[in-house]
Amino acid sequence: MNGTHLLEIAGASRRFGGVLAVDRVDAHVDEGELVGLIGPNGAGKTTLFNLISGFTPPSAGTIRFRGRTINGLRPNQVARLGMGRTFQNLRIFPNMSVFDNVSVGAVGTLPQGPFGALFGGRDRARRISERTWAALETAGLTGVADELAANLSYGRRKYLEIARALAMEPAFLILDEPAAGLNDTETADLAAFIRRLHAGGLTIMLVEHDMTLVMGICQRVVVLASGRKIADAPPDAVRRDPGVLEAYLGGDEE
Amino acid sequence: MSGFDARMRPLAVRAGLALLLFAVLPAVLAGFDRSYYYQVANLALIFVLLAASLQLVTGVAGLLHLGHAAFYGVGAYAAALLSTELGLGFTVTLPLAGLIAAVIALLVALPTMRLVSIYFAVATLAIGQMLYLVMLNWVGLTKGPNGIVLTRGLELFGFDLSGRLATYYTVAGVVALSLVALGRLSHSYYGNALRSIREDDQCADAMGVRTARLKMEVFTLSAFFAGVAGALWAHMTGYISPGDFDFGESILILAMIVVGGLGSLPGAAIGALVLILLPEVLRDLGDFRNIMVGLVMFGCILFLPKGLMGEVSALRLARQQFGAAWRRTGNGVGIGWR
Amino acid sequence: MIDPYYLQQLAIGLSLGMTYALMAIGFTLIFGVLNVVNFAHGEVYTIGAFAGLVAITAFAPPFLAVLFLALAAGAAAGFSLERIAFRPFRRFTDEASLKSRAMRESTLLSSLAVSIVVREALEIVFGSEMQPLPFEYMINAPVQAGPVTLATGDLIIFGVAAAMLAGLQYMLKRTRIGLSIRAVSNNPLGARYVGINTDRTIVMTFVVGSTMGAAAGILVGLYYGAIFPAMGFIPGVKAFVAMVMGGLSSIPGAVISALILGVSESMATTFLASGWADMVAYGFLILTLVFFPSGLFGAGRERV
Repeated sequence: MNGTHLLEIAGASRRFGGVLAVDRVDAHVDEGELVGLIGPNGAGKTTLFNLISGFTPPSAGTIRFRGRTINGLRPNQVARLGMGRTFQNLRIFPNMSVFDNVSVGAVGTLPQGPFGALFGGRDRARRISERTWAALETAGLTGVADELAANLSYGRRKYLEIARALAMEPAFLILDEPAAGLNDTETADLAAFIRRLHAGGLTIMLVEHDMTLVMGICQRVVVLASGRKIADAPPDAVRRDPGVLEAYLGGDEE
Repeated sequence: MSGFDARMRPLAVRAGLALLLFAVLPAVLAGFDRSYYYQVANLALIFVLLAASLQLVTGVAGLLHLGHAAFYGVGAYAAALLSTELGLGFTVTLPLAGLIAAVIALLVALPTMRLVSIYFAVATLAIGQMLYLVMLNWVGLTKGPNGIVLTRGLELFGFDLSGRLATYYTVAGVVALSLVALGRLSHSYYGNALRSIREDDQCADAMGVRTARLKMEVFTLSAFFAGVAGALWAHMTGYISPGDFDFGESILILAMIVVGGLGSLPGAAIGALVLILLPEVLRDLGDFRNIMVGLVMFGCILFLPKGLMGEVSALRLARQQFGAAWRRTGNGVGIGWR
Repeated sequence: MIDPYYLQQLAIGLSLGMTYALMAIGFTLIFGVLNVVNFAHGEVYTIGAFAGLVAITAFAPPFLAVLFLALAAGAAAGFSLERIAFRPFRRFTDEASLKSRAMRESTLLSSLAVSIVVREALEIVFGSEMQPLPFEYMINAPVQAGPVTLATGDLIIFGVAAAMLAGLQYMLKRTRIGLSIRAVSNNPLGARYVGINTDRTIVMTFVVGSTMGAAAGILVGLYYGAIFPAMGFIPGVKAFVAMVMGGLSSIPGAVISALILGVSESMATTFLASGWADMVAYGFLILTLVFFPSGLFGAGRERV
């Protein structure tokens, strides 16, 4: 098994003071999968997310991505290994245009020294421009490329965040609560969009509080409760899992 | 304008600016035939360069820098000492002054770049003051408060350029080249990476942008151009003293970019011209000249929070001028400077 | 037996440190309620000194009256400063905007602009050189204390500063306005919910902090006989250093750091030419920022 997974989490723990936010979690994501990570509030989803993306180093355990141990790497190093992410509370660059926002994803994952910009650098500029336009097109934002990001609607900002991550041309995309704050129609559109990205060959992990979206589109669902993994199975099996239902307090969330 | 091919416009604008800088202005200056006007023009150009280089750090990358004048001073002293002690000419001292300022900036940036917001600002203030104290008190090297008199003026590869018009052309040429470089840095993918740090550096980090390294780079690059400005100043005036590089000077440069609008390179140039030329125009007011700096700055913060040409309006301008290159239907050249 | 020279430097350093402490308290209080740095604080110090000077040259009042006039001028300066440079940028009343980055940056720049205007205005009125002071107001008569020779100023500064610190402590712990200042610096939004008038509290904070800054200004002015428009900048920077060393929100921390700073500077003049003495403060600042991110005395705010 070892080395074949795209992402492999082995015994990862994270302690904050006396609280064990993530407790010896083992999980993995294979190439081409669309995996959901769910759990009730306070289950440790965000902490696990931060461990994966390099925002917080694990207290114990290892996290391997594309065969490399990424514990202790800075977020930008993890990102340049091919991991793209979005943020739960929408962190766009408000005073930059939509195009410029998305271009940052492309800039971040290409060589970024100043001398390319100083002395020509046409090739790099072309590559960045191409990637950016491709990501904008995928997310359906070409029409507003010149708009200031702050002027976009809430729903479109979600797509902007995803487009920015896509411009990184990631091998693995993690979406942090993408459906938060969206109504049912918007959530359905988003689900279709994520499916399209997945169909295009992208490996995706979806971190969600709400089960609806995850159960609808994911092939496999990992459930966290109180920092521990309590289930890891296809949606149907998870749906019937009594432990999961209990964790969700009766399971009538969906 | 509609008659122009959209892609011709930046060329037209730049050609116009070049014409103004290298033909119209010198002609006007020659027409008036007074040294004073040449001095004002040179001073204004040097401050345009200082403001533009600070703009890269403070406006584009969002790092409030309160010690910029110190690096200007380092450049001036480096040029003056290389010239008087080692007998080097302007051709050599100009790049060396920039490099020395950049190296010192890099050395101080290494420990302080982790600091955020106000702590960074205060650290730059302290660094600026420390450099100033060195200029003031290391009498053995810098001659202290007496300053240094330069014996060699402007020259290029042995050609004497110390005449009034030649001096103007040299200053204008160096400043114009530097501005092109600063423009490429700030209106390119590099500038976008810097802007992302200003907007949300954690998020930029997650996009793969090497925030710590970029901050260090931009601080060093801006010090390089400040050092170049210092060398110009030293060779142009032939005399430097620590008073030219104190905290007040740093604040003056900061006021220029605040007035012109944070984040915009044209704004920095306009701000510098306003704060240098306005006091000259209002010379009759005498003592009130310095107070104007404070009042104009305060007025701008209160009534024009985006400055005369802030990022948003500057974005629009950049898009009009350079946007053609970003169109997919264009010739495919990306967001770099064409 | 310690060389009396060092004792003397120690005493001078302590009185110097006390003036930094008076300034640092103003910074700390204002930073506490607004989370901003008041760049015009040095000018408040200058205003205190000039108010005293004007009073002396106009009607030669007794020393205590000079001191009180300077304090009153400081209070007025603090009040106006808040109105001019800070309040216009506090457009919203939720916590986010009260401590937002945009407000921090614009007030930083606006207080900087106000400080330029005040300094230049004083220069226009008084000229930039040191102002002559009548000899009888100077507080630098020598006093013999055992083997050590001090100046009356050292004792007066120490006494006045200690009294003001005690008064401040009483005010913060026992009076209504002091309690509201503490409440607002702990949690501005919560303070508002329980009915504290945050705007009024903020003004009061500026008044109290500026009064102490002005006291430092007039005392130092009379001690060294050096009153000039740019006099506030260096002490302002040093008081800021003391605040950072003290951990930003701690008044005792700021006071202790200010004393450390004063003593180190006074000792440093033993080994360094006086022109280099300021290097000590900047060095302390950089070292603190880099190695003690939460101040020398424990918990502070996030800064890296």
